Amino acid sequence: MKTETPQIVITRVCDAPRELVYRAFTDPDHLASWWGPIGNTIPRDEMEFDVRPGGFQRWTEVFAAQPELRVHIHVDLTDVVDGELLEGVFHVSGRLPEGIEPHATRLRVEFYDEADGRTRLEIRQWFPEHLAHHAEEGWRQAFTKLDALIIER
Amino acid sequence: MAGTDQLSAVFSALADPTRRGILAELATRDATVTELTAPLSISMPAVSRHLKVLERAELISRSRSGKWRASRLEAAPLREAAVWIERYRRFWDSSLSRLDAHLAAVQAAARATDRMAGDPKELA
Repeated sequence: MKTETPQIVITRVCDAPRELVYRAFTDPDHLASWWGPIGNTIPRDEMEFDVRPGGFQRWTEVFAAQPELRVHIHVDLTDVVDGELLEGVFHVSGRLPEGIEPHATRLRVEFYDEADGRTRLEIRQWFPEHLAHHAEEGWRQAFTKLDALIIER
Repeated sequence: MAGTDQLSAVFSALADPTRRGILAELATRDATVTELTAPLSISMPAVSRHLKVLERAELISRSRSGKWRASRLEAAPLREAAVWIERYRRFWDSSLSRLDAHLAAVQAAARATDRMAGDPKELA
């Protein structure tokens, strides 16, 4: 699974030191203030973080404009290297927006030092099982090609 | 299994971010060209051209009832995959922009605190 080509690869340089960017992902007070689209709120008392290999991160997202939605995120952390790496299975459940089914996707975030005290984030994400399942050999090649097209942009 | 030509049509259709966005929109409901144009910063004829490309690739079908022609997403594994990718790309785009703003705010606050702590010395 880990060795398979991820379907989403994002590289981004943040204007902040690595230690702070890592904290933005692993400290609940930090994460609550930036995670998700504009308009969502993450109630602090529903956040549970135990960041270590075999640990977890859990929170709920609510939306003032769509009170019927309640998105539960449970990340089961498989691999954690302090300040350098977070990898786990990202479970999405709850009362989700239309068209989005509960799913689990493997997610890997790497943190690297860049010049001038900046940090390079590398985010990799893999298809949930129900999509990967469709991927017979022909489609698998197709996905790889599709991937390449998306990354080139 | 789709033929090579069909697959090529699908790839060139999916290579364009606007067209992937249109597919993501159609994942939630059928929509007319007017409805699809509204949230975009491009003209209706341009959206029509994108719809033609998607139709040729058989990723969407278009019905004609009266003067309203609604586009419908056609079920296909690749289409489902493209919609999933597009959703998460949008999610990361907006989250990471917020992350940048958050990191800037946290560092500005830390610098302000440092300056305040340094003030007495500067005054002395």
